[in-house]
Amino acid sequence: MTERAISDAVYDELVGILGPDGVLTGKSARWNRTRVPAPFPVHRWHEHVPDVVVLPRTTEQVAEIVRLANRRKLPVVPRAAGTGLTDGATPLNGGILLDVKRMNEIREIDLLDRTVTVQPGLNMLKLNEVLQPHGVMFPDDPASYPCSMIGGRIGTSGWSLIGARYGHTRDLVCSLEVVLPTGEVVRIGEGGGRKVRKASTGFTLKPLFFGHEGTLGVVTEATLELVPRPQAEFAAFFGYRDYDTAWRSTGALARSGFATLAGVVLFDEWKLAYLRRDDEAYIEQPDWLKSVVAVAMYGNEAEVVPAAREIMRIGRESGGTYLGDEVSQGDWAARHDRYAIPLHGRLRSGEVVPMSWHCEDAALNYSVLPQVHEEWHAIADRYIERYGIFDDWGIFAYTNGAYKPWGDYLVEIDIGIWEQRLDDEGWAAWLNCKREITEVTLKYGGSISACHGASRAGDVDYVPQELGGAFDVMKKIKRTLDPNNVMNPGKYLLDQAYED
Amino acid sequence: MSSDESTEAGDAQREFVEQWRDPAYNCFSSGHKFCRNVCPVMQVTRNENHSPTAFHANIVAMEQGGLTVADVAEDYVHCTQCGACELRCPNTLMAGDFYRARTRTVDVVKAMRALAVESGLEQPNWKRWVEATVDRKNEPVLDVPVSQENVAKWAEGLGLEAGGETILFVDCEAAFYRTSLPRAVALILRAGGVEFGLMREQWCCGGPAAEMGYVAQSREFAEHNVADWRAIGARRIITLDPHDYITFTEDYPRYFGPAYEFEIVHITELVAELVRDGKLQLSKPIERVATYHDPCRLNKRKGIHQSPREILRAIPGLDFRDVDHVTQWAYCSGAGAGLSIERPELTRAISGQRLDRAAQLDVDLLVSACVWSERPLTEAGEHREPRIEVRDLMELVAESAGLEVTP
Ligand SMILES: Cc1cc2nc3c(=O)[nH]c(=O)nc-3n(C[C@H](O)[C@H](O)[C@H](O)COP(=O)(O)OP(=O)(O)OC[C@H]3O[C@@H](n4cnc5c(N)ncnc54)[C@H](O)[C@@H]3O)c2cc1C
Ligand code: SF4
Ligand code: SF4
Repeated sequence: MTERAISDAVYDELVGILGPDGVLTGKSARWNRTRVPAPFPVHRWHEHVPDVVVLPRTTEQVAEIVRLANRRKLPVVPRAAGTGLTDGATPLNGGILLDVKRMNEIREIDLLDRTVTVQPGLNMLKLNEVLQPHGVMFPDDPASYPCSMIGGRIGTSGWSLIGARYGHTRDLVCSLEVVLPTGEVVRIGEGGGRKVRKASTGFTLKPLFFGHEGTLGVVTEATLELVPRPQAEFAAFFGYRDYDTAWRSTGALARSGFATLAGVVLFDEWKLAYLRRDDEAYIEQPDWLKSVVAVAMYGNEAEVVPAAREIMRIGRESGGTYLGDEVSQGDWAARHDRYAIPLHGRLRSGEVVPMSWHCEDAALNYSVLPQVHEEWHAIADRYIERYGIFDDWGIFAYTNGAYKPWGDYLVEIDIGIWEQRLDDEGWAAWLNCKREITEVTLKYGGSISACHGASRAGDVDYVPQELGGAFDVMKKIKRTLDPNNVMNPGKYLLDQAYED
Repeated sequence: MSSDESTEAGDAQREFVEQWRDPAYNCFSSGHKFCRNVCPVMQVTRNENHSPTAFHANIVAMEQGGLTVADVAEDYVHCTQCGACELRCPNTLMAGDFYRARTRTVDVVKAMRALAVESGLEQPNWKRWVEATVDRKNEPVLDVPVSQENVAKWAEGLGLEAGGETILFVDCEAAFYRTSLPRAVALILRAGGVEFGLMREQWCCGGPAAEMGYVAQSREFAEHNVADWRAIGARRIITLDPHDYITFTEDYPRYFGPAYEFEIVHITELVAELVRDGKLQLSKPIERVATYHDPCRLNKRKGIHQSPREILRAIPGLDFRDVDHVTQWAYCSGAGAGLSIERPELTRAISGQRLDRAAQLDVDLLVSACVWSERPLTEAGEHREPRIEVRDLMELVAESAGLEVTP
């Protein structure tokens, strides 16, 4: 019915590796593996469609696919859940889209050394369902917990909402198996250990494979850290009359230094307004409320109960008003689902239109939050004023320190975009808006991205500036590992590695 | 696409896109796929084209001229219309009531299948199945002789009459295949003092045809049945099958508009009431270890999950190990919306997965309240070691009420 976008020879080879069931050439299969949740110019969708989709089940199959691609110099784009927000899994130059969703086996649960070994197409919620009866969990908990997958978590070097307590994705993967761009299969860990958490044999290569966005190979297996399921949970929401007090209070709460502190989140006035648009779900709050800080703790009762009392004291003494058990417990539980409700989108006139959620996430130090907060909103405001298709959904800041709650912050501004109305002009304006936001981040000594990656048009332009000489190292590594530029080409400006 | 544009099929597609584009954007512009892990089909195929997200995104792609109905028709086979994705979607869950914007994946799937049929893109097994149904006026159930003479054969010896205010509508699967179920129901209703009759000439409800995209046929069957109801003065229709319950409460009102005057009751609601009011005594113990399978069309589509649990808890001797109805958003038998006809291997995989979940509770009995689910679930239960038996809730009720259901 639909014409095939790859040659018969490539098709036959792929079918030889995977069987006909694992090779999809239909148009809908290819179009649907272009999309990620981040808005993109819909009218230019056709520019990003892969030529063929493959659904491998084993490492060996992946290796054979990559070897084939390397031989024929065809792009390979790994895709896990396709929930990444910086187009990492979107093919820029067509080629083979390698979808790992059928690689979703749990290979081993080791309760003695507290690890679990899984394939990359497994989702955390599913994994934890299986782990629950054993009294352990894998504590990587992004807001995309019900949908994103291990492969993508590694590809983006994700951020866990309870990471201040348990660490983020990079801290939670002991080792991983990778098919390199030339098809060799290697295990990368701390030294050569599969389940070892810290070693010092050789170069520490593990971090290289976090956040590479599929440019350095395909993760085919990962051995993950397990932690005991927490006996006790505590959540408290405090309300404030102004952002400054809330910010100071955030600092005080985060500096409390409790090991059980899993997250301290600061929501600003715009974010509250966004949530309040859906007043059925968001419990009504007094008008004076301009900022909210949410704190969560996980651990044993012996730790959490006394610490919770202390947290309540710090929250109140630093100017917060406790918002009550209903909000504190209820909203914390619902936190994964509150993002990206397109119906909350508003035009300047107040009209409700379905808007897509764009999230610009920077890593910033505590000290600069108030300035960045002000400048980002001012930028957003200019674009909202000038183009009728944007909306400011507010900023939140999230302390991130793995095992040290006094660490720095994921700061995110959420912007609604009326994607249906995006044309070339609107898209160009949007990229400029992103660039301006990014410039502010860099001006205040931050990093462009805390967890989503900076591989997307707009941010990506600033990667060389942020990394300086380190970007040249990135290029050298890329060229060494991927001589033919087959792995996710075009991402991170790494094509520059091949220009000379 | 361009050759299509002047044709009727092209017009139908344009009209379809026009109608569904905005709801599709509500999903497209979220695109987070929270729905995916509850989707029974996606759980077994792991193919993103079979996900609710894709079902909506395709429409946006059609609007962009990237895809046509021919490119996507087959993808839409991969849905049991269980409704889980709609509930799990934050757009429904968090904001739907407020904006009156429930995610409507089931309707989208039905509409796309209808567009496919209209465009001449038929699925071979559905086509054969629908033709046989048109021919016999009832669904072709396995190898049993399906015909008008046999449609009430299940009631032989029970002395039931046609006509009356309350009509018991027995779906094809129960009427021709699992006849122990309608017999149990008839005895229960009688024991509970509910007066009821049968139709004079009962055709298939037309629901499955609508689910597969054969709307004209579904309407024709609906018109026949409603004419029969009216002719015998029926006011209230009791359904055994959750699928009929959906058809009579969702499809029929759409066909007949405000003139549709019938009260539709599902048997579990009625029996729970009888037990609650003491009109039906459940006194004979059933010493089994059981769990309950929430039929999609009761739990997820209609929010009926309390009454069956109430009934099960009222059965003496039963060790009932519940899985709460929200967890069961991710469960399905795989039998719905024609999946078992076009892709039986997927139905088998989904049923197998359902039985795995039951097995984790160490039960020897899985109780369902949907006759459609019972064939694939029974088969999956029989293939396990130890075996798990599958029975209908009403069969259990009859037994506990001391009613002897002769085959
Ligand atoms: C509602 C919502 C909330 C979110 N909240 C968070 C949050 O709190 N924290 C957070 O970190 N992120 C969050 N995200 C972003 C997203 O979920 C993460 O970026 C996630 O890590 C992506 O995983 P994925 O499985 O969807 O990967 P994909 O989008 O499929 O892929 C991401 C990248 O990894 C690469 N990749 C995928 N699999 C492999 C593999 N096997 N080998 C090599 N490379 C691979 C891809 O090529 C791509 O570059 C959120 C997204 C949504 C929609
Ligand atoms: S159906 Fe709902 S949950 Fe699924 S992708 Fe669409 S918006 Fe998200
Ligand atoms: S209705 Fe059920 S089967 Fe169909 S897409 Fe939704 S979850 Fe999947």
